[in-house]
Amino acid sequence: MRRHLLAALSLAAVLTASACGAGGTEPSAAPSPSVDASDWGSVLAQAKGQTVSWHMYGGDDTLNAFVNGYVADRLKTYGVTLNQVKITDTADAINAVLGEKQAGKTTGGSVDAIWVNGENFATGVQAGLWSCGWPSKLPNATYVDLGAPAVANDFGVPVKDCESVWQQADSALVYDSTKLQDADVASVSSLLAWAARHPGHFTYPAPPDFTGSMVVRTILYDTVGGPQSLAGAFDQNAYAPAATRLWSRLNAAEKTLWRRGSTYPQSQDQVEKLYSTGEISAYFTYGPGAVGDQVAKKVFPATTREAVLAGGNIANTSFIGVPANAAHHAAALVLANVLLEPATQLELYRAEGTYPGIDLARVPPDVRAQFAAVPVSPSVLPLERLTANAQPELASGYVTRLEKDWTANVLQK
Amino acid sequence: MNLPRRLRIALLLAPALTVVALFFGAGVVQAAAQSLGYQPYLDGWRWSTDAYVALWNDPAVRASFALTARVSMLSTVLAAVLGVALALLLRRLGRGRRWAAGLLQTDLAVPHLVGALCMLLLLGQSGLLSRLAQGVGMTAAPADFPGLTADGFGVAVIAEYVWKETPFIAVVALGALGRATAELEGAAAVLGARPWQRMRHVTLPLLAPAVLAGSVLVLAFTAGSYEVPLLLGRPYPATLPVVAYQLYRDTDLGSRPEAMAVAVVISALSLAVVAGYVALVARLARRSV
Repeated sequence: MRRHLLAALSLAAVLTASACGAGGTEPSAAPSPSVDASDWGSVLAQAKGQTVSWHMYGGDDTLNAFVNGYVADRLKTYGVTLNQVKITDTADAINAVLGEKQAGKTTGGSVDAIWVNGENFATGVQAGLWSCGWPSKLPNATYVDLGAPAVANDFGVPVKDCESVWQQADSALVYDSTKLQDADVASVSSLLAWAARHPGHFTYPAPPDFTGSMVVRTILYDTVGGPQSLAGAFDQNAYAPAATRLWSRLNAAEKTLWRRGSTYPQSQDQVEKLYSTGEISAYFTYGPGAVGDQVAKKVFPATTREAVLAGGNIANTSFIGVPANAAHHAAALVLANVLLEPATQLELYRAEGTYPGIDLARVPPDVRAQFAAVPVSPSVLPLERLTANAQPELASGYVTRLEKDWTANVLQK
Repeated sequence: MNLPRRLRIALLLAPALTVVALFFGAGVVQAAAQSLGYQPYLDGWRWSTDAYVALWNDPAVRASFALTARVSMLSTVLAAVLGVALALLLRRLGRGRRWAAGLLQTDLAVPHLVGALCMLLLLGQSGLLSRLAQGVGMTAAPADFPGLTADGFGVAVIAEYVWKETPFIAVVALGALGRATAELEGAAAVLGARPWQRMRHVTLPLLAPAVLAGSVLVLAFTAGSYEVPLLLGRPYPATLPVVAYQLYRDTDLGSRPEAMAVAVVISALSLAVVAGYVALVARLARRSV
């Protein structure tokens, strides 16, 4: 018996020691990558033969086809194999890297690249997970307006050369034009008034869902007259009165939502399914370009249209982040560089109407002309309409706070 | 090899125990440490029981206890009653019995995820039942059909668990209803016991240990499973495992200890259920001797 006790104790001691050993090391800034992006020749040489594990949201079939088709083929010309790791939530990839860091794995990590922005980027910054200093050195960074506010900041967090641009997302309202008239989609107020006359036919996914969180901010902007009063880092004095007004407005409208507001869909996926079955007639999206594809596939009715409400639409940029412990750092940089190619951005726009993360003023004129020549589905708003009154995102401090308080003040009420 | 018996048992158990200790044990130790504030990737982390206090004050967690208890207990009781009834019915089938038992076992192979999706297609407001109701003019629109999925009570979640676990209990009960049971029932009949008396004093007591063991498994599983309540339930109130995952996926790493605290509570509850079961079995065994 005593021997057993001894064995158990020594096992516990070993476990504790290893746990404390990991705890003893001070969290430090991410180590600089062993790969020097300014020497692009050596990056290409190192990347050759590597397989890059790219963790990205995998719920979009059209995008998956583009990634495993066009992007994978482009990477093959550099001798790089693409392994797309489909995830439902970017937080999963961040958690994987975090787990490795906790286990003391500073090299040879399983995640090479992550499609990321906003709070998840901020979480990575908080825990020092990112490899930095490479995006501005990519050869194709010349097509990016690195000084533009939407590129230099990610939901208010300075990017500081720790992630490379990929896409631009402009939100829009998607609706069935047989159910809603132009006047109904003119503003947030007219939309909510329509919902009051047609209870049960509008909803949004429960924040912290990425899109649901945007819908709440869209209504917030409308309530306080735009994002200006909430610009910059989180400020309790600016937030509190704005939030109070927002919650009372959302709670007043709740009874007119799907299921009379007693619950909310858990994901944007579920919301789009409700729209495709006709259970709801309008929803907000971050991907208005993909709607044309859904109409063409007859998943959505042909009478589907899009609108930008008065006060504008929230827009943001999404990026490619590379964890500091990535096993295939060089291949990840090649991936980020391929994604910035004007031809890749054009293909993506063609495939699913995703708006370019690069600055079209910096690409060759013939590519610019090709962008303009891409046919747009009658269901989809043209790029000029979507970008004309685009509104910035709030700092991630506001975003997380809004998500938490929405849960307490709307969902749990 | 002439090893002492206890050493031989220990050696034979070692591989399985090592796996359990390493993956489950280490996971629980990690979760417990993180629930107490162990976050070496954050500057200024410190040991504290704040997460457990936060958990107690979190309305999402509080609402979750009632829902989790309701869903797991109702599912277990319904599955146990229906499973035993099904087994007793199948036993009377005679020839078709083997065929029916095989059918039951195909249900066991269906993953819960598939079961949940089937429930969604069957019970959802645009599901099969709703469309049938609309077809015969009982409802005018999908929204008129009662919300059985994403409902506050957990109807669809319970329905999925009962659908999936009833055959499990039935298979367990069929196994216990062997030849010996039939002989004892026959003896009771010869001694003048009426059908109900045979059931009450012979069949059910013989079935009890096996069905109880199966029910404990069902209870522990339904209280700790994640995918079914996520697909068929609400974001609030949600069952404990869903709440744990919501907190785990919170982009603010400050919520991580609370997520781990919920996980520790789930593990403790499961262990308590198993401990209660072991005690009960010991009592039953003493009584039957």
